[in-house]
Amino acid sequence: MTMNQPPFRKAMFALIRRQPIRYAFAQFLWISIWSMPILVGLITAWFFDALPNGIETNTLIVICVATFSYAFGRSVFIMLGMRNHGSMLFRGSAMIRRNLLQRIYELPGAATLDETPGEIVSRFRDDVEHIIMPFDLSVDIAGAGFAGAVATAVLFTIDPVITGVILIPVFAVGIVSNRTGFLVRRYRIRARETTEAITGYLGETFAATQSIKVAGAEENMLRRFKVLNDERRTMMVKDRTLTAVLEAVFRNTVNIGTGLILLLAAGRLTTDGAAGISIGEFSLFVFLLGMVTDAAYFLGMFVARAKQGTVSFERLITTLRGAPWQRLFAPNDLRLDGEPAPVADDEPEPEPFRVLELRGVTFAYPDTSAGIETVDLTVAAGEFVVVTGRIGSGKTTLLRTALGLLPKSEGEILWNGHRVENPSEFMVPPRVAYTPQVPRLFSMSLLENLVLGDDVDDEDIDESIHIATMTHDVDMMPDGLMTMIGPRGVRLSGGQIQRSASARMFTRRPQLLVLDDVSSALDVETEQLLWERLFTARSGVATLVVSHRQPAMARADKVIVMEAGRVVATGTAKELQESSETFRAIWEGTSTAERT
Amino acid sequence: MIPVRAYFRLFTGYLRPYRRKSIALAVVLISTIVLQLANPQLIAMFIDRAVEGREVSSLVPIAVLFMGVAVVHQLLAVLATYIAEQIGWSATNELRAELMDHLLHLDMGFHKGSSPGELIERIDGDVTALSNFFSSMIIKVLGNGALLTGIIVLLWFESWIVGLSITVFTLLAVFGMLRLHGVTVPWQKAIRATSAEMYGFIGEQIDGTEDIEANGATGFMVERFDEIQRRWLPQVVLGWTGWAMMWITSMGLYFFSLIIVYVLGSWLFGIGTLTIGSVYLVFQYVQMSHNPIEQIREELIDLQKAGASISRIEDLFARETKLVQRDSKKLPRGALSVEFSGVTFRYDDEAGDEIVLDDVSFAIAPGRVVGLLGRTGSGKSTVARLATRLHEPQHGSVRIDGIATWDIDRRSLRNRVAMVTQDVQLFRATIRDNLTFFDATISDDVLLDALHRLELDEWLASLPNGLDTTLESGSGGLSAGQAQLLAFTRVFLRNPGVVVLDEASSRLDPATETLLERAVDHLLQDRTAIIIAHRLATITRADDIVILEDGHVIEAGERRSLMETEGSIFARLLATGMEEALA
Repeated sequence: MTMNQPPFRKAMFALIRRQPIRYAFAQFLWISIWSMPILVGLITAWFFDALPNGIETNTLIVICVATFSYAFGRSVFIMLGMRNHGSMLFRGSAMIRRNLLQRIYELPGAATLDETPGEIVSRFRDDVEHIIMPFDLSVDIAGAGFAGAVATAVLFTIDPVITGVILIPVFAVGIVSNRTGFLVRRYRIRARETTEAITGYLGETFAATQSIKVAGAEENMLRRFKVLNDERRTMMVKDRTLTAVLEAVFRNTVNIGTGLILLLAAGRLTTDGAAGISIGEFSLFVFLLGMVTDAAYFLGMFVARAKQGTVSFERLITTLRGAPWQRLFAPNDLRLDGEPAPVADDEPEPEPFRVLELRGVTFAYPDTSAGIETVDLTVAAGEFVVVTGRIGSGKTTLLRTALGLLPKSEGEILWNGHRVENPSEFMVPPRVAYTPQVPRLFSMSLLENLVLGDDVDDEDIDESIHIATMTHDVDMMPDGLMTMIGPRGVRLSGGQIQRSASARMFTRRPQLLVLDDVSSALDVETEQLLWERLFTARSGVATLVVSHRQPAMARADKVIVMEAGRVVATGTAKELQESSETFRAIWEGTSTAERT
Repeated sequence: MIPVRAYFRLFTGYLRPYRRKSIALAVVLISTIVLQLANPQLIAMFIDRAVEGREVSSLVPIAVLFMGVAVVHQLLAVLATYIAEQIGWSATNELRAELMDHLLHLDMGFHKGSSPGELIERIDGDVTALSNFFSSMIIKVLGNGALLTGIIVLLWFESWIVGLSITVFTLLAVFGMLRLHGVTVPWQKAIRATSAEMYGFIGEQIDGTEDIEANGATGFMVERFDEIQRRWLPQVVLGWTGWAMMWITSMGLYFFSLIIVYVLGSWLFGIGTLTIGSVYLVFQYVQMSHNPIEQIREELIDLQKAGASISRIEDLFARETKLVQRDSKKLPRGALSVEFSGVTFRYDDEAGDEIVLDDVSFAIAPGRVVGLLGRTGSGKSTVARLATRLHEPQHGSVRIDGIATWDIDRRSLRNRVAMVTQDVQLFRATIRDNLTFFDATISDDVLLDALHRLELDEWLASLPNGLDTTLESGSGGLSAGQAQLLAFTRVFLRNPGVVVLDEASSRLDPATETLLERAVDHLLQDRTAIIIAHRLATITRADDIVILEDGHVIEAGERRSLMETEGSIFARLLATGMEEALA
């Protein structure tokens, strides 16, 4: 943890500032709900004081009606309070989740995250919840505090001495909760870590089910799962037991306090209060002591929970990766009520593409020597440029860095001669579109996957599908373009995914197409057809692809040969066959294999 | 209804090993209840003695005893929590493990239909709701239930009419809450379903940032996120409304009880049945009964969650693998034959689903290498999945060494039939664990030998910590090709009789592919192999060729004779391939 972490209370204030009216309403309701029981204590005290002299029927009726009206009134407040609360807490967490998601989109898309997807999901779910919990408790604490203060004031008017004495254990509660905060926090961190280890492991396991099955490794995977489970159990039991200890301390405060009242009242307790204390006053003391201690209890729990929230807060700040913490609570345009605001689509037509230049671009993966170093590259309008090289030579890294999907550490990227300051924001449609080596589609209809919310007319969609050689596949699908794909819909083959992703790229009508190795999922004929159709339908478009297939390389205006992260040769396939040893190896690697 | 029955049906088996701890828990719990019930009696005694004007010296011990009882009670309460958490987590861990075991053995059809995020939610989210249920169930519900019973019994001792009235109202309130519970369970279920959808969505987003960002779709995805939130909010508010209804019900009970105390208390005191201390005792017990009812109410929230979780877990356990094991014959050593006879397959059993393989038959003799060709989507990968029994055909059979796959012992099949696929999945763990799938019994020597044969020693040496190097998540800093080399090593580590290479070399650039040639030669030696590739280059080592189109075998035969047959599809394909070489 760094020294300059923002204090957690700032996070709380930020949450309140975003929903001032709902929060004020919550405070009003919950202060009322908390304070109302004082009336029950007063009614009961009245009853016990009247009891020794016999209670008249009329008095009894008044007591009963008062109790009944009280119950009704409090019920209404509870209903309003709970509904308002649920809505307020949900809105708070939805806002944080929305900001987290947007932040993740802002980061370079291909940068390796330190966390597994399972762990990130746990950030969205558990850590957000842990931040909201103290926000939730802050309403209770205000209610309990107010009720406790009023109750204390009432007690003082009865007997200041007894009141003073019984407040001592109540203060002790505050001290204990402060002292244990550190321990609570340490256990909480470990418990959360062990849980994340489990969700992360489960996520990876179920992403790899097929490999595990084929390898017959189910038992091994299970054994490891049990080890992780055991680690979590140990931490969880510690965590929960500590919480129980704290709770016991708080609860005991009431009992010790009641014992003190008994001690102090010994010899002074009579039915009429002549010697100092009446039965009614005694009952009020015990009743209100409970309320005061509840206030202290909630104060203590609040402190402890707030510390638990701090852990999650710090973790979410890590997930923001450099953005200020305020980002979590930044206003956004998430609209939970009614229809979403229509998105204004007034993006100006980009200027015609002339040339993309990379100068001395460098990127190194952390912890490994892999990466690219001082790469120069030029793609001009209408050019077909192929990047080739051996496995691990940095081809994919080059594409990703050029697109801002990985953050370059040095060098510059120029678009039509102008420096691109933020490639991840700039290198997107309608300028550039990209299909990664292993493209992902999402759980929605094929059409939605293709247009991704863009306003594309039917002809463009049909044309894109045609270029991507997907027409036949779409015809075969049960609902055509409306077919749901992903876990809840039909499964696509690797080739279909690849071609859908290509079609997705074509629908955006970019000025520069970037494709990472399609050969892995497309056969030669399909790939050939794709290039033919692309150059017919979109003549003049610039294309940058990774490939080591001869047809692509032979067609290229320019081939870039990479080795160990550097460009070792540039030229046409013909030139390179003369000049580059590495290129020859790649070229012949294909032809030897295919000549037999 | 509270899903106690379902819960115990699911859970008793997991509790059996903890019988002694459970008994200890019961003893501690009963002690805490007795102590709790004793304390108000002390106060009543105190009041009556004080009102009678007894000596202060006879009152002080009662006050001190009161405090002592309270402290011991809290200590025992902590102990009870400790034991219950121990049992709860141990037992649910076993449930988790069994559930994971069950899921891992379900067929791929199931896994294709569920996202990892969803399964995390099932195994961890739902089971954790259950483990909370356990500690809640024992400590809060049973403990408080017993306390409530004790209070009512003691009230009967004070005055039967007070006892009777409180009993009736308590039963009414409990009945009301159970009814309410039945109403609100579906509300909770809806919330959980949306929650699972939401985190499934987040998981997909994290996985697809590259695609989303590079295609400028972040705005669109954010809008989808918003849409889920808009659906979720009213469900959440309804959930809170349900809890408010519960709270109001239990509060209603408390106030009816208070009115009973006022009315009956004044009457019974008036006719001399109860002393003032006894009236206060009744008031205290009614106060005390409010707390357990309140806690039971709060726990009902957990119980509701658990109810939904239990039914989902039971659903999962009820899911049977479509791969029914009919016999458990062992496969012999050495190369094995593979035979597809009349295989018809669709991924979904429903008749409407597209037929992927239609009456496919071919046979591979032991030790032969078959090149499987066909366009994208022709059914090649499906053949691989059937040969490795990830799926089973609806008609026809797949036989290894003459034995239908459903008659082969699962473990034997996995040991003897291996596959390398297009997508290599890696774990965020050491290289060693990635190679062995966390099997600690495989020695480093065996690993190093396999890596050596793949000529990966140099690459291994370049890693900072050798076999102990931890791969990061996702691609783990490995290129797709390097990942595939790891997958090859995984297969090397076993001694399969049949090897299926599905696009195994597709991500390797030709130079690296050459590097692998010898290793693959070594791997295929004395083994039967099915090599699937889109590229002709990959199948040059094949003895036989099978060509698929739209789920049909359109040509099959020895590679050399097909090459020489005029007008064969294979010869034509070769010609196109040559075009590629000449282009």
